Amino acid sequence: MRLSIYLLAGISLLTSSCKKFLDVQPEQQVDASEAITNLGSAETAVNGLYNLLGSDAYYGSNFPALSYLSGGDIQWTGSQSAPQQIANRQLTADNGNVASSWAAIYRTILSANYIIDAIPKLSDPLFSQTKKDQLTGEAYFVRALSYFDLARGWGGVQLILTPTRLPGDHTGIKRSSLEETYQQVLSDLNKAAELLPLTTNRNRATRKTAWALKARYFLYREQTDSADVYATKIISDAANYQLLKPYSAFFAGNVVATAESVFEIGYSVSFKNGHYNWWLPPALGGRREWAPNAQLVSLLNDPTVGGNRNALIGQTAPPGNLWYGKLYYRTPTGTDPAYLIRIAELYLIRAEARAKNGQLTEALQDLNAVRDRAGIAPGTADTKEAILLAIEQERRLEFAFEGDRWFDLVRTGRVAAVLGVTDRNRYVFPIPADELLADKALDPNPGY
Amino acid sequence: MLCLLVEPLLNYAQTVAPPDTTIASSMNRALSEVIVVGYGAQSKNAVVGAVTSIKAAGIKDRPVASFDQQLQGRAPGVQVSANTGVPGDGIFFRIRGTTSINAGNDPLYVVDGVFINNQSLQKVTTQGQANNPLADINPADIESISILKDATATAIYGARAANGVVLITTKRGTYNSRPKVGFNTYAGVAWAPELWELVTGPEHATIINEAWVNDGKPFATRPFRPKSEGGRGLPEEQPTYDRLHDIFRTGAIQNYDLSLSGGNEKTRYYLSGGYNKQLADIKTNDYQRASLKVNLDQQINDRVRVGTSNSLSRSRRTNARVGDGPQGGILQAALHTPTYLPKFNDDGTYAKWAGFDNLDVLIKYTDMHSISTRYIGNLYAEADILRKLKFRTSWSLDYNDYDEYEYWNSYTNRGSASKGLATSSVSKNIVWVNEQTLSYRTSPGQKHTLGVLVGNSIQGNIAQQTFAQGTNFPSDAYKQIASAATTTASSNRAENRQVSFFSRVEYNYEGKYLAEVNFRADASSKFGTDKQWGYFPSLGVAWRAKEERFLQAVDVISDLKIRANYGLTGNQNGIGNFASRGLWGGGSNYLDNPGTIPQQLANPELGWETTRQWNLGLDLGLINDRISIEFNWYDKYTSDLLLNLPLPVSSGFRTIASNSGEISNKGFELGINTTNIRSRNFIWQTGFNIARNINRIEKLNIPIDASYSVERMAQGYPMHSFYVYRQLYVDSKTGDAVYEDVNKDGKITAADRQMTGQATPKFFGGLNNNVSYKGFDLTVFFNFQWGNKVYNSNRFFHESGGTRDDRRAINKNQLNRWQKPGDVTDVPRITTIGNNYALNPVSRFLEDGSFLRLSSLTLGYTVPALIAKRIHASNIRFYVSSTNLWLLKKYKGPDPEVNVTSDPNVQGYDLGTPPQPRTVQFGLNLTL
Repeated sequence: MRLSIYLLAGISLLTSSCKKFLDVQPEQQVDASEAITNLGSAETAVNGLYNLLGSDAYYGSNFPALSYLSGGDIQWTGSQSAPQQIANRQLTADNGNVASSWAAIYRTILSANYIIDAIPKLSDPLFSQTKKDQLTGEAYFVRALSYFDLARGWGGVQLILTPTRLPGDHTGIKRSSLEETYQQVLSDLNKAAELLPLTTNRNRATRKTAWALKARYFLYREQTDSADVYATKIISDAANYQLLKPYSAFFAGNVVATAESVFEIGYSVSFKNGHYNWWLPPALGGRREWAPNAQLVSLLNDPTVGGNRNALIGQTAPPGNLWYGKLYYRTPTGTDPAYLIRIAELYLIRAEARAKNGQLTEALQDLNAVRDRAGIAPGTADTKEAILLAIEQERRLEFAFEGDRWFDLVRTGRVAAVLGVTDRNRYVFPIPADELLADKALDPNPGY
Repeated sequence: MLCLLVEPLLNYAQTVAPPDTTIASSMNRALSEVIVVGYGAQSKNAVVGAVTSIKAAGIKDRPVASFDQQLQGRAPGVQVSANTGVPGDGIFFRIRGTTSINAGNDPLYVVDGVFINNQSLQKVTTQGQANNPLADINPADIESISILKDATATAIYGARAANGVVLITTKRGTYNSRPKVGFNTYAGVAWAPELWELVTGPEHATIINEAWVNDGKPFATRPFRPKSEGGRGLPEEQPTYDRLHDIFRTGAIQNYDLSLSGGNEKTRYYLSGGYNKQLADIKTNDYQRASLKVNLDQQINDRVRVGTSNSLSRSRRTNARVGDGPQGGILQAALHTPTYLPKFNDDGTYAKWAGFDNLDVLIKYTDMHSISTRYIGNLYAEADILRKLKFRTSWSLDYNDYDEYEYWNSYTNRGSASKGLATSSVSKNIVWVNEQTLSYRTSPGQKHTLGVLVGNSIQGNIAQQTFAQGTNFPSDAYKQIASAATTTASSNRAENRQVSFFSRVEYNYEGKYLAEVNFRADASSKFGTDKQWGYFPSLGVAWRAKEERFLQAVDVISDLKIRANYGLTGNQNGIGNFASRGLWGGGSNYLDNPGTIPQQLANPELGWETTRQWNLGLDLGLINDRISIEFNWYDKYTSDLLLNLPLPVSSGFRTIASNSGEISNKGFELGINTTNIRSRNFIWQTGFNIARNINRIEKLNIPIDASYSVERMAQGYPMHSFYVYRQLYVDSKTGDAVYEDVNKDGKITAADRQMTGQATPKFFGGLNNNVSYKGFDLTVFFNFQWGNKVYNSNRFFHESGGTRDDRRAINKNQLNRWQKPGDVTDVPRITTIGNNYALNPVSRFLEDGSFLRLSSLTLGYTVPALIAKRIHASNIRFYVSSTNLWLLKKYKGPDPEVNVTSDPNVQGYDLGTPPQPRTVQFGLNLTL
């Protein structure tokens, strides 16, 4: 009897000390349930959200590259086959860059979903309602932008609006239509505009940032009146937003967050942007995986067309004499901002909206504001069609390395005429092949 | 883990073990041989499991840094493949195939009872490759190696044993023997027997012009037209620069080992010091190791013994970026820079092309090194509590400090923009184990023998790293981060622990009928509270038929044993320390404020990966064991695979750690050792082994692409299967490549990729011949593998049909391109348009990787004992030896034994990988 008591005591001691011995806690992570619990952790989660928005695979480089490489003005000059496919518009569904962008956008959405879900429920006395609204509003804005990018890149997509806590949380969801996807963007933008403060911040979303994105949204949706209204809200805020002269003033000389920027992702030592690596030649510390092609170089170098926008390009020493893009150039600090919305775009949005509304003079005024800043003579187009064509040409050079060209041509339906892409299936990127394998509910984009 | 039984047996083993200089085959079996097994040792006759025991003396011909590479071709069923020809670099080592995707496939390595770490601590990248931590162990200190393969042999290591166990026993002294001094040395040279063949400058220009014209662009504006017309000059004006011969050199190897061993009645000792230096045949790699070994055993009284094993080593590697990626890539800069492009710019500065560094700069200024400081030690005490009951306790430590530094000066691409870049990384890895065993052995009435062992073990593993980086240096003269204007730093730490209980019961009747039961229970901190424990039993039986009366009279059969066993083993190695938890992590900062993001999704159900294994074995000795045959058939089935299961990324997560998927490995192993001639002066022995492993992924819900996206893991196919677009032929009328349109939709899309061949061989093994005549000995050792494929990614870049113009070199094979209707070739018409050169990966670059290698050839001469005695030596032997003297292959690259990365899920992917060197060395073995 006594023996068995000792034995039992011994065994229970052993098992309890075993349990303790095996209880090892992480020192670099926290459990998801403890991630957003108060003001401080909510703020860090929103910082993390911007970090995801600016990650390499999203606005850091991959996502804008999908557009500018597809746009016909950038040539592939490297060794990797993924950008080769994009630049030659020979995309296959297993393209690595397409897959990584798709994944990065949904990762951003996940983080936004967590924040939108968690913050309103918190009862930290130090966490004011205003601050809660601001942080939640930022998450709504980022989610709106993310779905907007999915919509223009891939068409209608699966709408995931709550955080994933268990693997099965979002299984079996079909793709929404393009219309529904855009409706979600608008709904999030409205929510963001409602919650965000009316302040100026070029690195984080404010109500003004939401208005600027709305202007772009309505242009894509061909709701030109609304596009005009929201573009005007920003343009008229001249105390905060201006077209800087010369063109290079918004990026050269290591400047950041200039009055040109409505929204840019900021980078620092603790969050670097590797975009320069793809553009700069080896002598300047990059690998020049791609470069402006001869046509773009000659346009930018034409003083009557490119004007002072030739600051975007440089040439290596002989005997190489290779042209390269230098919008992203800050090595090794990696502090080149990702330019998401610039005031120049709002001028061109409004110009296009007004031209389409028949306000040709006003349209030309906005166009010429951008031309003037670039140091070129005012445009003289006098018909709606001619003005729209001039705007398209202006956007081509103004945003040459900013991921606008392809989306712009697809949006206006000019991609067949300009790039000879007649297969409408090719106006969107392929749904990544691996995703189709992992998700039976996900339908492919036809033609890939 | 030499338990109580082992000490006396080991003494015995050492007295019968052949001295270093004999040529007895490592695989030769003597009936009296003693085999080290888990937590003990058994006589060969009593072994129930599949164990291959190798005397280290038999495999020392190859002057490589680590013992695992020396095992290549030596043990049936053990596939060993070096990733590169760089000394001390990673080795692919598989016992009976690949059982896991994410949980690790390396065996458990145990050195004198210490569970050692074999995962690289390297953090400063050499672009895909990683150092081999097993190179920290001086092969000269190893006495024997036991490779435990089946469930009976491995189950006592339970949770660590699904991939087999490699037990290393180091040398110890002998009681009651006079001091013995051993001195072994060799020195030699190493060089690359074959390099890649690149085109000349004019040929390069011709190809590019041809692409231009074939693309439909005007001849007048072809890139290589006269400079006066704005071109790069006519093809025939182009120079040719041979960068490959700039980077390869004649390497040098040297090795010294000095040892002292002996003992008295109560004490025995083994002391040794070693130094190994290998200057690789490729700049700027070299490897040095200095090592020290002290093994001591002391009998305190009749009942109590204590002892210790200690080894301390320092391995210094001078590294270079020889793998993938252009920046700083020394082999890539040599191999991939177009040959017509000059080394200098017009103004005399170093020219840099196509993302690559200037090769001269890299040769001159590559400054990367690492120092591994490693202590492996064990302290044990054992006591005879009763006459047959023994207790043993042991404490073990594997402490590894891995200190890395790199400095890229302003001439290099990595350092040019940042005005110098330096990285320091110091990693520490600590594995500690404490074990207690009680063992009891009895033979009542001489007919029955019963052995019982029970034990417990607790272990911990701590990994930590401190990392610092500096940029913006005053000048190239300042190389330490202290001088840098901009610095960043970081640190990380992780830990896991394990608790285990184990037991073994052995029984035999008259040495005729043998049975063995093993059981182990393990709990790991990596799993959720309810899933921590895993239970791993095994049961084995054997029948020594030779002991039966009806065989005792059959003289031709000198031994016959039949073995069968079944059991379970586990695996949890490769997964994260907190894989089952849903976690958020920091470090995702914004505007210099801290940021956090979701990192992984919780799976509280996560538990052990389990492998069950059948083994049927036969040991047969014929004609007094002049012929001995060992045959094993096995069937392994791994279920609940620890898998990073792909999730729909719309969930925000790419994968989740889960128990999902099943893999089977079936195969056989055959080892034959023969003594062909044995006379007074002449002995000829042959050892041959061959193994076949059939690997198949039995269940996997979703196909998963390995890194580089050339191999795919998919249900119904073996691991390391290639997934490519299959090129059927080149149309002899148009010159266009025709790919198989699998889904017949008239287009070549991602859906047309298909599983095509595998990187693991169908058969592999070795053939060894030892001949001795009087004082002379000759060893000829071949190893081979057959039926494996290699993706030659160098060719993907080198035969890119003009699409890579001035960015990549072109190889000679590109010249075999289709040029005019009627040409029959598999190299398509040169053009940058269409699919001829745009698809990746394509079967055109998937090549047969089978080979037969004369792995080593050694000729030695032992000075007659009488002469040796005059200088007070008991043995003097001189030898000359060569490795990789001859290679039979179909592969178009220099060597099919290559792999670009240390990622275990990628095999047979060749991209800028240094080939195996050929070496010749002279050596001396001296025993005083």
